[in-house]
Amino acid sequence: MISIFTNILLATATPVDNGNFWLPRAASTTAGGVDLTFNVITWICYFFFALIVGLMVVFCIKYRRKSPDMVCAGPTHNTALELTWTIIPLLLVVVIFTVGMRGYLNLREAPEGCYEVQVTGQKWSWTFDHPEYGATQVAELTVPVGKPVRLLMTSNDVLHSVWIPDFRVKMDVIPGRYTSLWFEATAVGEYALNCTEYCGKDHSKMLATVHVIPADEFAATMTKLANEYEDMSVGQLPAYAINRLYNRCASCHSLDGSLSTGPTFKGLWDRVKSGQVKFTNGESLSGLIGDATEYGEPENYIRESLLNPQKHIVQGYLGSMPSFQGQLKEKQITAIIEMFKHLRDVTDANGNITVNPDGTPTE
Amino acid sequence: MTTTDAQHNNLSMSDNYLNHTKGIKSWLFTLDHKRIGIMYLICILTAFLLGGLFAMLIRFHLLTPEGALLTQDQYNQAFTVHGAIMVFLVIIPAVPAALGNFVLPIMLGAKDVAFPKLNLFSWYLWVFGLVFFLISLASGGLDTGWTFYTPYSIDKASSMGGVIPALIGAFILGFSSIFTGMNFIVTIHRLRPQGMTWFKMPLFLWATYATAIIQVLATPVVGITLLLLIVERAFGIGIFDPALGGDPVLYQHFFWFYSHPAVYIMILPAMGIVSELIAVHSHRHIFGYKFIAYSSIAIAMFGFLVWGHHMFTAGQSQLVNIIFSLITFSVSIPSAVKVFNWLATLYKGSITLNTSMLYGLSFIFIFGIGGLTGLYCATLATDVHLHDSYFIVAHFHYVMMGSALIGFIGGIHHWWPKMTGKMFSELWGRIACALVFVGFNVTFFTQFMMGSRGMPRRYATYAPEFQIYNIVSTIGSVVLAIGFFVIAIYLIHSIFKGKKAPANPWGGRSLEWQCSSPPPWDNFAEQPEVGDCYDFSVLEWNEEEQGYDWRKDAVHPGE
Repeated sequence: MISIFTNILLATATPVDNGNFWLPRAASTTAGGVDLTFNVITWICYFFFALIVGLMVVFCIKYRRKSPDMVCAGPTHNTALELTWTIIPLLLVVVIFTVGMRGYLNLREAPEGCYEVQVTGQKWSWTFDHPEYGATQVAELTVPVGKPVRLLMTSNDVLHSVWIPDFRVKMDVIPGRYTSLWFEATAVGEYALNCTEYCGKDHSKMLATVHVIPADEFAATMTKLANEYEDMSVGQLPAYAINRLYNRCASCHSLDGSLSTGPTFKGLWDRVKSGQVKFTNGESLSGLIGDATEYGEPENYIRESLLNPQKHIVQGYLGSMPSFQGQLKEKQITAIIEMFKHLRDVTDANGNITVNPDGTPTE
Repeated sequence: MTTTDAQHNNLSMSDNYLNHTKGIKSWLFTLDHKRIGIMYLICILTAFLLGGLFAMLIRFHLLTPEGALLTQDQYNQAFTVHGAIMVFLVIIPAVPAALGNFVLPIMLGAKDVAFPKLNLFSWYLWVFGLVFFLISLASGGLDTGWTFYTPYSIDKASSMGGVIPALIGAFILGFSSIFTGMNFIVTIHRLRPQGMTWFKMPLFLWATYATAIIQVLATPVVGITLLLLIVERAFGIGIFDPALGGDPVLYQHFFWFYSHPAVYIMILPAMGIVSELIAVHSHRHIFGYKFIAYSSIAIAMFGFLVWGHHMFTAGQSQLVNIIFSLITFSVSIPSAVKVFNWLATLYKGSITLNTSMLYGLSFIFIFGIGGLTGLYCATLATDVHLHDSYFIVAHFHYVMMGSALIGFIGGIHHWWPKMTGKMFSELWGRIACALVFVGFNVTFFTQFMMGSRGMPRRYATYAPEFQIYNIVSTIGSVVLAIGFFVIAIYLIHSIFKGKKAPANPWGGRSLEWQCSSPPPWDNFAEQPEVGDCYDFSVLEWNEEEQGYDWRKDAVHPGE
């Protein structure tokens, strides 16, 4: 009980910026310009809507039909009036257009010296590569506060679109070409990033979190992120994989045995090791592992499933898995295989993750 | 024509287009524009019911953040099928094909449209289109969104199997639309009665004419695009597929080159109806006739030049975006001109708040919001934030549903006595209109806030902060659905139990109010002469008939 009260107190005590009636909080340098434009249009809309509906209501009351034969002889045209209500809106839309265009150019013209992040959209997850640090993030993007960041984006499959509502930025992510957007976050915090171009089944789960952190912590954080698995012992890898890599798999592969787009990871290693996996072409894995077979070691089958997933498609599934060739380093592949082997140690019976990134159990 | 002429001699008072010939064949092979209009109306309303059921599935699913009703795949199908049915099968044909077919020739004092057989053929094409959509649902479903964006729609591994039948369906429906448009253009050019110059036509005809131009010019583009998409999906020729060197954004240009003007195919005829509703039910000469007429043509013309505003975030160059933004604003001016002229028509009128008029006024209210929120979407800085969010969903529902469909429903009420010869219950009509109005605004106004605060469209699951908006929206949709069911009940009831309608229950002045209700088989025994179709001073109320007659001392152009 007490904790509930303290929580409520804390929630009311800390000023949380929830934006206004129409817009969420604004947390980028360009958001102010967008919001200004939005508010200018909103006031123009309020005025004209009130004018239109006000006149309509007044006329409907004042000129109600008193008898079915009421003859009315109001004016039927007035060129001066027509010109008035043509020219005034015309001038207003020119103003709106100009304000909107200037705000847009600010949105599009990235300043010099942006910190660059390469973004890859793939059904249904986001990968963020930091070339400067050699670090890769999945479904999470860490950026420094107060520094312009440019996202250079492409897609591996269909159209996607990056939208960070609190930054007021959006750009489609298109296969076969690069698009870009930039922003400069103004406040430390966590911000939602959505896919907003329909991309199939789990479109609404193609989400990411933008972590805006203090600029002086950024370099250290990224260096740690880039190297965290390189120094790990084999024993630490399952926890690393489940915390850092699994979110890339989560939209299609469950941990608790529930059905999804791809086979569940629960008990996967046992099925692979014993060869109890049937493929759509009728073959089964048992013929492909063991001495003098295609794969030899069962680990090689998992490796191929990551890098060349279309080769063998498990019976009952459509084979919509993308290839992770070039996206996973050797040690990360090892980490995933270790994760499968130790899945029971890192999840509970319901498939909830029970470890921290450093291998310690979660509360 | 020969049969109607032969039967013309034994016309009696009770002989009308509904009872002139009997049997299902006399309907399915009819060349009569009124019967074809009624067949369209029945089919379109059936499709509307179907599309509405999918809409309710969507709304109930979104009651909880993790989705209350459907799987992800089912949800994606639900919004795709809802959109495809409502756009291709309902809103695009609604006013021109159903009401236009019925009213347009009579307004012209003509016996039929210029090409009656083509007219019937276009109805059959509509039915074939529907059949292909049903085949699509049966053959694996459709989950591409109604826009069929590439490369998702050409990726056989990820999108569902019903894409090609749906594309064929949309292609066929396109021809249905083209034929209707051609028919109307020729009919308006060639079959106007003596004395009806262009600027003496009822404004509904101007709107229909402007619409027909778009139908004939724009629809072939989407036809070709859909064919290319079929070939691309079936054979992989590499027009839109980036893996084969194609360009997925090219598809968007092709698609919106039609589909943006198509928005005006939906809204223009509804605006035409509203011009009639406002003038007739306030018994007041329409204000600024020429400006309303020209604004229809202006909207049709500008409508061709603004398609790029659908791709503001698709990687177009900044210059192209700026140009498209500027041209997009130009559409707002003729739209504003129409609204102000309708308001000026109300000024010093004799306004009756009957059901049809309430829909006309609802249109002004809802189109006010739909049109004004278009400013946010045309403005570059704000559209980048709002694009593909629920704000856009709300905006186009305010225009396509709240305006186009409300206009359509208003038109159904306005011409219902003419079509069926029966009066519907005014009381229930007003109650239902209130339900529809309140339900609609509660459903979709919340979606503006949802969207501008950050909820993307086409999401089967969403962040918990948006739940309250979704709950309110779903409650609104239930009210809206109840409103539609009330309309269906009292309208069907009126066919069997309604009072007999007089020839001119509202005091309309255009030619359709000069023939009996329902109209005779061939509309007019002789070609009627035409006066000013907005001069209501020549009419007077006849208490006995509960309708309007010619004032005794008025000069009757015609008889």
